[in-house]
Amino acid sequence: MSARPEWLKVRFNREAVDEVADLMAKFGLNTVCREANCPNRGECCARRTATFLILGGNCTRNCRFCNIACGAPEPVDPEEPERVARAAAELKLRHVVVTSVTRDDLPDGGAAHFARAICAIRERLPGATVEVLIPDFKGDRASLDAVMAARPDVLNHNVETVASLYAAVRPQARYARSLEVLRYCKAAAPDGLTKTGFMVGLGETEAQIAALLDDVRATGCDLLTIGQYLPPTPQHAPLARYVSPEEFERYRRMALERDFRYVASAPLARSSYRAQEAVEAARARP
Amino acid sequence: MKIEVTMPKMSPEMRSGVLCAWLKGEGDRVRKGEALFEVETEKVVCQVEAERDGVLVRLLAEEGDDMPVGAVLAEMEAQP
Repeated sequence: MSARPEWLKVRFNREAVDEVADLMAKFGLNTVCREANCPNRGECCARRTATFLILGGNCTRNCRFCNIACGAPEPVDPEEPERVARAAAELKLRHVVVTSVTRDDLPDGGAAHFARAICAIRERLPGATVEVLIPDFKGDRASLDAVMAARPDVLNHNVETVASLYAAVRPQARYARSLEVLRYCKAAAPDGLTKTGFMVGLGETEAQIAALLDDVRATGCDLLTIGQYLPPTPQHAPLARYVSPEEFERYRRMALERDFRYVASAPLARSSYRAQEAVEAARARP
Repeated sequence: MKIEVTMPKMSPEMRSGVLCAWLKGEGDRVRKGEALFEVETEKVVCQVEAERDGVLVRLLAEEGDDMPVGAVLAEMEAQP
């Protein structure tokens, strides 16, 4: 007896979720899975995967779609990258995804910390691939250079929504700036993979989605995720509508027509959902 | 051995959850990992999996009840 559409139903394995949560607590780490109240947490924890959230639990931006707390930034912990690497090793991850809160208070936006995390993971898990989901660093090229110098396998930066909804959904971000982040990072490492994602159900039109796909693909972006926006609380940006699985399939085809190497388009697809599969599929493609 | 089935805490902010459906009834055998009941959260409906093999002895919450995190929803007789 729920008003939610049937396709927004997930399994919750308490034992698996607690196990991953305990491990993160042991290492003093945050995950975006928990902070964002991700609906896929039960499934991902059962597969013993999680996405690390570095640079604290408080974000300096107040995006209207996001559940992460906006508040006073915490001191940067120089030991955190090493602890991420140790936790990733304990989880036996073969693909490690690291993201962060946005740190507009730091001169480099936390870019050096990202680079240290990549290096620490490489050292401890030389066989693993590393994906970083970065903020826009206000478009600062030195910050982007610092991250790219650490050579992540996948550089992910989400555009999140269509251009016309930025003011309502991502007021402190700029659509063109996010595109430039993707373009710059691809140009810096043409052999590396770049990735982005956006939400639907916020009121965007199909024509706007098509324009977004063109814009993103023009940056050279390889991987794409498209998922249903789900308001974390009634105080967040309102839901315009639930998008059906059939429409997600249409969006997927629209993206593939534009020659993305890999597209995940489904109601519960999220930035790093089954990220390892995405990388493997993209690399397997001729 | 009798064990309690409780409302899980599915997010840091969660204080209570609406039990939207029982997927098993009193007297049913349940295997670990089987979906036992559904809870509506802010974003989705979660099918909560049984944590042990056993028999569902008594349901203590009804569909539609808003139950606090940790509240006992049912009793199970665990089987080794």
